[in-house]
Amino acid sequence: MLAGQILNGIVTGSMYALVAIGFSLVIGTLDKLNFAHSEVFMVGGFIAVASVSFLPWQLALIVIFLAGGLLGLATEFLAFRRFQTAEGKVTAALASMALGLIITDLVHKVWGTEPVPLKLESPWLQSGHTFFGATVLNLQLVILAIAFLLMALLHILLQKTRMGRQIRALAESTVSASLLGINVRRVTQTVFFLSSALAAVGGLLVALRGGAASSEIGLSFGLKSLAIMAIGGMGDLRGALVGGLLIGVLEALMFQMGLGRLVEMTAWVTLFAVLIFLPNGLFGGGIHAREQRA
Amino acid sequence: MIGDQLFFTGINVLLAWSVYLVLMTGSLSFAQGTFMAIGCYAAGVLTVKFGWSLLPATLVGALLSSVIAAVVGWPALRLRGVYLILVTIGITFCGRVLLENVEYIGGVAGFGGMAGASLTSVFIAVGFVGAALFWLSRSPLQRSFDAVREDDRVAASLGINVPVVRLIGFCGGAFIAAVAGSLFGHYMSFVRPESFDILLSVYVVLYVVLGGVNNMWGALLGATVMTLLPEYFRVLAQWRPSVFGLAILLMLLFKPQGLLSFRTLSSRWKKA
Repeated sequence: MLAGQILNGIVTGSMYALVAIGFSLVIGTLDKLNFAHSEVFMVGGFIAVASVSFLPWQLALIVIFLAGGLLGLATEFLAFRRFQTAEGKVTAALASMALGLIITDLVHKVWGTEPVPLKLESPWLQSGHTFFGATVLNLQLVILAIAFLLMALLHILLQKTRMGRQIRALAESTVSASLLGINVRRVTQTVFFLSSALAAVGGLLVALRGGAASSEIGLSFGLKSLAIMAIGGMGDLRGALVGGLLIGVLEALMFQMGLGRLVEMTAWVTLFAVLIFLPNGLFGGGIHAREQRA
Repeated sequence: MIGDQLFFTGINVLLAWSVYLVLMTGSLSFAQGTFMAIGCYAAGVLTVKFGWSLLPATLVGALLSSVIAAVVGWPALRLRGVYLILVTIGITFCGRVLLENVEYIGGVAGFGGMAGASLTSVFIAVGFVGAALFWLSRSPLQRSFDAVREDDRVAASLGINVPVVRLIGFCGGAFIAAVAGSLFGHYMSFVRPESFDILLSVYVVLYVVLGGVNNMWGALLGATVMTLLPEYFRVLAQWRPSVFGLAILLMLLFKPQGLLSFRTLSSRWKKA
């Protein structure tokens, strides 16, 4: 029972990490908060509902990845391109929040405010194995596999490829990066594409596990991932992963101890504690986190 | 009917001013809804369960709210940048969960029985807060606020205690929001934790941005227009989030400097 709960927590945590990494990527390279990110994550679930009706889910995954990425490009164009100065930080956060409001409202107008069931005719996903007395559904394994595969691919992209080197250079300093001949706009667009695509896939995974796409998760699950990003350390991808798993398992343990009603607070209380004792987050954070210190 | 609308306009103006006070020190707060809830519940408990009259209950509720703001906000106010935004979102979620789980104040079912606030009391509150903000805009404190907002490092080098100035703004905002909350509760006579969700706080911030953050009249204008317009245009009420978001986006896009370009010090001196 306990093992089952912890596994549940790890599955939730991997989804938190997927969304938090997107926040972290944007804040790490551009030092800006993208509030539309959590709504793109929410839309991912609804694109899933729309696309699984005529596509096998493996193909739907690719469609969702691309659609999320395109939404990310739109976010960059509408809410970030004009506000590139350091003073634009708050303005960009507000603009992306306004965009998030519009996205949520459009989803409400198309699919209504109630959760929409996501039907997947696959008995294989619902069957499970039993290890150490805990039942593991194939669905959970698939979610874990997709989340960790995407995070591993992102890690390889950032560390081993030319684009990854450019993204890391941009994180160090926008001005020096552009002096070195890096196309700042293209790299910025790539960052937004990747982060939003990951969020949209996160939305698919959450909808798959819950059996329904809900328009509420943008403001609950999505903003919690924002807290997790700060818990791990701003702009630090390892931090987002560890923070996500930590909060996922903590929440599962709280359910186990019968504190289910306080679960929504876990991430935020952890954030307060981290800010008091480790102001830079668990991993010290990226360059911009150091910049945040007074 | 028209009285109701004017009342909610007054409440929203108070909330917008509470956001404006925080914004003047260069931070954004998405916790004004929760500070409103604290004021509402604290004053409600004092009037309903202890038989206090409205005015002292409101003031005590507002003080409690600013003390809570100081305690919770301090760790984040010491840091620069986006941490305060995160903490205020956290306050909103934690506040909601706590309100829903304390049986003494009704839990999820809500808390009722308050009475006594009227349109007049809101006007008096708006008058007092407006006068205080006007006095503030002519005081030395305003210049410290300006310095901290424009460049906190320079401000610190000039001997301004940046975290304390930020704390004054944040607690002042919590105080005003709690006054609005107390009046709201005593007018509606019944509130539930879900009356104060995160969207309320988001909307209030956007009122201020829409009206312009250059001075206190912008917040007044934004809150008034955005409260009254949806009442008279049904389409606007139906598409409220979209229209709202679109208006904000367009304003921000066509004023590239952003509405957040406060009046510069030089232009203020020229006027004076």
